Amino acid sequence: MLIDRTHRNWFLGSIAGLAVATAAYVPYSLHSPQGARGGSTLGLIYGSLGFVFMLFAGLLGLRKKFPIWRIGRAQTWMRAHLWLGILSFPLILMHGGFHSGGPLTRALMWLFVFVFGSGILGAALQHFMPRFHTARLPMETIYEEIGHVRRQLAEEAQRLVEESCASLEGEISGSSEQQRAVAASAGANWDVTVAAGLQVDEQASNELRRFLHAEIEPFLGSAGSGGTRLAQPAMSRAMFTQLRVIFPATLHSSIDDLENICDEKRQLDEQSRLHRILHGWLLVHIPLSYALLLLGAWHAVMALRF
Amino acid sequence: MLRRTRTTKKLARRIDLQYFTRPHPLRRWRFWLSVAVPALALGWLFTQRVQGGQRAYSSGPLSRSHAVFTQQCNLCHVSRARTFAKDVSDQACLACHDAPLHQANQTFTPPCSSCHVEHKGVARLSATSDASCTQCHARLQTRNGISHYATSIDRFESTHPEFSALTDHRIDPGQVRLNHYLHLQPNLLGPDNRRVQMTCDDCHRSAEAHDSWPYAGPTTVSMPAHDTAVEKSVRTSAFMARIKFANQCGGCHTLQFDRRFGDLQAPHDRPEAVHAFVTKQFEQYIAAHPGAVHEAEPPNRQLPERIRIHAPANTSSEWVQYRVEDAEWLLWTKTCKQCHVLIERGGMLPEVVKSNIVERWLPHAQFDHYAHRMMTCVACHANAPASHNTADVLLPGIKVCQQCHRDSSTKDTAEGRCFECHQYHDWTQAKRTKGGFTIPELRGTAELHPAQVSPYP
Repeated sequence: MLIDRTHRNWFLGSIAGLAVATAAYVPYSLHSPQGARGGSTLGLIYGSLGFVFMLFAGLLGLRKKFPIWRIGRAQTWMRAHLWLGILSFPLILMHGGFHSGGPLTRALMWLFVFVFGSGILGAALQHFMPRFHTARLPMETIYEEIGHVRRQLAEEAQRLVEESCASLEGEISGSSEQQRAVAASAGANWDVTVAAGLQVDEQASNELRRFLHAEIEPFLGSAGSGGTRLAQPAMSRAMFTQLRVIFPATLHSSIDDLENICDEKRQLDEQSRLHRILHGWLLVHIPLSYALLLLGAWHAVMALRF
Repeated sequence: MLRRTRTTKKLARRIDLQYFTRPHPLRRWRFWLSVAVPALALGWLFTQRVQGGQRAYSSGPLSRSHAVFTQQCNLCHVSRARTFAKDVSDQACLACHDAPLHQANQTFTPPCSSCHVEHKGVARLSATSDASCTQCHARLQTRNGISHYATSIDRFESTHPEFSALTDHRIDPGQVRLNHYLHLQPNLLGPDNRRVQMTCDDCHRSAEAHDSWPYAGPTTVSMPAHDTAVEKSVRTSAFMARIKFANQCGGCHTLQFDRRFGDLQAPHDRPEAVHAFVTKQFEQYIAAHPGAVHEAEPPNRQLPERIRIHAPANTSSEWVQYRVEDAEWLLWTKTCKQCHVLIERGGMLPEVVKSNIVERWLPHAQFDHYAHRMMTCVACHANAPASHNTADVLLPGIKVCQQCHRDSSTKDTAEGRCFECHQYHDWTQAKRTKGGFTIPELRGTAELHPAQVSPYP
């Protein structure tokens, strides 16, 4: 979510809310005989408000389960989640008088710190990373499809190498339309192998296959870099440059395609990594939020008792 | 030349359109963690409940004095009949503590827990916040509308009034003539005709001090260090020992009454006792020296202003009478009068005005001299060395205190909160409390009997 001008009202509202809460807290804290306490009237107000904001922030998950419900725009819910969630943190601190209290309240405070911290981190990531994503990953795809696309890339690379090798080995059946066109333009007849025109080189063919099995397949087959040399852009560039030197110029376009496939694979790996960063914080934020709401509700009940 | 192209059609073709029906690992993890973490939280809560009763719900550690009851929440948190709440009542506190009223004239009595805030850790419960006091004293109201005290105090360093002893030109009501200036001069004639330089602590010492008084008389007097309940509630070393003639004065101010008895001194007592002592001494003397009746009495140089000259005595009783009159003339007009105010009563023994030495200058506060032992006396009692009159009040003013004691929010100052000097409860009205718990009950290893914990019928 981009935090832009559309957040201004929420931001100003949160600042105003915080200012009012602080303005009430300072005299209350200074002049209250017992100091600031969660059980005092103002302490309970802070606690209740904070908990209501937390609950509302938690309802975002429910709202996402029912996107077609007409209960406000998703963006509005997201903004409310962000700003009310932020505001709830100082309110809860004021509720507790900036003390962590006993075992349950201490656990709650730690949970809240992690939920708040992960939320802030998430908001920052979601603000900055999408732009970064777009700039660095022109070949990105749907995250869930990455594995599927990776397999297709491996197949494409294999097919490309087979075509090239067939050309090198003189099998016209294995050559592509383009290769045939090249051969025809060189004056060869259909009943004559194009091999002569393409400068048949069995050694080069073997070398290309070896490169596919040794370098390209392990790289495209693994979800990450897999410790392969092609995972490093500079190394990859150097390797493909060397291939262009070894192979005849007519195969350079195939080599370019192979390099492009490897580039795409590297981008998919990078996309996976960025996606894990962009969404990984939710593995902390959401489970801890549920625990926080659960224990918070229990704390409210027991605090009213004692 | 690159032959691969990324057209929308090509990209669309390679997408598996059913991808959203298969949960992705990240989502799977999120779901299971969302189940597991709250479950773990509940498990932790349950474990806490099993291990420590209701301690998990404590809002903080108990003070040191109550920490032993940590397992026994019900000692203080008492259930009310037909209610869910288990709040702390004053009755729960009063089961162990007495809490005398502050002032009969106060308009309301705060609950114990409003000033003595528990669950704040090892802090002293008696270290109450200033707000506990200023909630009344910032705008003091009384039941009858009359207040004998400052009515607007909210901060020690700004609105605390001057000590009443220093206001309205009040004087020291003491009736023993004492010139501090003179006593602190060099080369005073001390015991055994030695020249001495006195210092403050020759006479003013902690009541707990065990070393001897340098200017004590032949016999010293042991004095109780404290009398009142308030004094008893603080340590003995807080107060200065009372000034007693035998301890602080007798070494220099001797009470000889006749040269015949050498260094024998009259008792420092009521005139009647002095008279009886002196008479007895002369009677014993004349009994032992009957010839002295007819001996001419040389003029007494100690009595230059003595106008009346006795005729020679005819009998021993007459001789005793004359000698007693002379001795008492010396005592009443010179020796005793040097310090005491005597009222003549026309031929009868004089009346010594009660010395009335002020023992507590701050009747509504406690000052601990021991806590200030690192300072010189004149650091606070600056005008003492120059004081010539008994009536001078040598108590330092509030400004002296405020040089060090300030708002506790500033770290480099001494404690400035009300409780440092004042006590809320009037301990002179304290009553004995009677315990009602066994050790297992207090430690939480035995159940409390309902009658012990519930003050509510």
